[in-house]
Amino acid sequence: MNKLLKQQGLKKSSGLLKTYGVFVFIFLYFPLLIVLIYSFSPTRTIMGMDGVTLRWYKELLQDGALLSAFFHSIIVGVSAVFIALVLGTSGAFFLVKVNFPGKGIFKSMVMLPFLLPGIIMGLTLLIFIRLLNIPLSMFTILLGHVSFTTPLVMFQISGRLMRMGPNYQFAAQDLGANPVQTFWYVTFPMIKTALIGAGLLAFTVSFDEIVISYFLTGTWMTLPVYIYGMMRFGLSPKIYAISALVLCFSLALIILMSRYTGRAGETYKVKNSENKIRNKSNTI
Amino acid sequence: MKLEPNGYKIKDFIKGVPITLWLLLLVIIPLLFTFIMSFYTSDGNVIDKTFSLSNYKIFFTDSLYSSILWKSIKLAVLVSVLSIAAAFPLAYLVSFKIKRGRNLLFMLSIIPLWVSYLVRIIAWRSILGNQGVINSLLLAIGIIEKPLTFLLYNQFSIAITLIYICIPFVFIPVYTALEKIPKNLTEASSDLGAGEGKTFIYIIVPLAMPGLITGFIFSFIIALGDYIIPNQLGGTSGIMYGNLIWSQFGFAFNWPFGAALGFILFTIAITILGLTSRFGSTEGGFLSE
Repeated sequence: MNKLLKQQGLKKSSGLLKTYGVFVFIFLYFPLLIVLIYSFSPTRTIMGMDGVTLRWYKELLQDGALLSAFFHSIIVGVSAVFIALVLGTSGAFFLVKVNFPGKGIFKSMVMLPFLLPGIIMGLTLLIFIRLLNIPLSMFTILLGHVSFTTPLVMFQISGRLMRMGPNYQFAAQDLGANPVQTFWYVTFPMIKTALIGAGLLAFTVSFDEIVISYFLTGTWMTLPVYIYGMMRFGLSPKIYAISALVLCFSLALIILMSRYTGRAGETYKVKNSENKIRNKSNTI
Repeated sequence: MKLEPNGYKIKDFIKGVPITLWLLLLVIIPLLFTFIMSFYTSDGNVIDKTFSLSNYKIFFTDSLYSSILWKSIKLAVLVSVLSIAAAFPLAYLVSFKIKRGRNLLFMLSIIPLWVSYLVRIIAWRSILGNQGVINSLLLAIGIIEKPLTFLLYNQFSIAITLIYICIPFVFIPVYTALEKIPKNLTEASSDLGAGEGKTFIYIIVPLAMPGLITGFIFSFIIALGDYIIPNQLGGTSGIMYGNLIWSQFGFAFNWPFGAALGFILFTIAITILGLTSRFGSTEGGFLSE
């Protein structure tokens, strides 16, 4: 009897928890939904919205400055990702494989651009580039983006390297592979999905970044900085349309990314190589 | 192959060169330059490079600045507490109560982290605005006759948007901590006669503490340093420490004072992060995979 009561109590409390969870999810997703709805509203309102329109999306395509800001963001994002992949991957190998005194402090310092408020990264970089007399340009924005994408890539890759352990490389070297062969035939295929995932994640973050970029932008603007400028004149329907597109673009990137990172990335890879092995043994 | 377990090889350190250069050029030297600049003074357009403590003196004597910092700290604490109030039960639910679709719910909880920050600000401006979602809904139903003006351009609108931004940042470390709790501990606790509430308070909360501390710190630092949200949703009564710093580089054009304000924020953040690495979980959770 007592136990039964307790179980009922348990059910009730977990029901309450679930309701609470649903409310949090509504809180998280309702605002995004609002942006989507507004972008299709012909009357600029939601109440009394009659019908849907693609007018604001069409207007986007006619806005040359907006389109070029979009391409600027792609250029900065892709460049930042490539630089961050080189810096972050070599850094990950360094920190996972090499021990040296002060490694803990070094690691925390590398994490700083991600842990410190963006405003600090923005203003320190601004002061730095101004003291060096570098004019604000695409290059300065790129510097800002490399500052925060590098630790992002590094910790993704070092996570994968640590889970892999050193044994695969040892085995390869015991079998006579030189370091280049070890990297190319053993390590690289094993971290490939992590590289893709980290690159996608870094691109997503770079594509959305404004806090640091805003400090480092002159007349050459990335998309978020351009949108931010548009917002000074109130929220026009065009802002909703571009927001909706940005939202969908980011979501697509994140979903794509989730296939490559974490355990999902590893199983994905293992499955593939298993298939390859199976195919090979079939042909034999 | 020569094995040198204790010796260092130059080859190993070559791998460290790019990341060290990056660290020096984009993190350490800019921070040093900022620190140095905070001792300069600015007279309109000219920066006077003689060493002076006047920026810090102004900050600590003029109560305007310290009161804005204090206001921002209070808001950041409130935001962190409420973000935990939202994210902790959610993480507990996903980690302990959900069996089917747990990965999906986990993804749903952290997706907002990577979805455009600016779009989320736009969303809240359009929800809270005078002609926004809440007001037009209440007007249409007839509960109110004039739009509620207290929704936007004050600390309330800043807080709600910051909480919205911070929830995933709290969720991840808390969820990571909860996942590490052996599930049979809760069974043992209930076998010994503890109810769910008791188990939660005496087992779950203490074991989730490192994650909770990390989550608290993350959201505190985000909330304290943000300037875009107060700019967009704060209005005049919502001037926060971040705006104060930004304005020194914008229209006030007093870079040395801005550098000093920034360095004060840096000191606060570093102190708190130093404390977390001792008491919180060292794993950021969302940085590694």
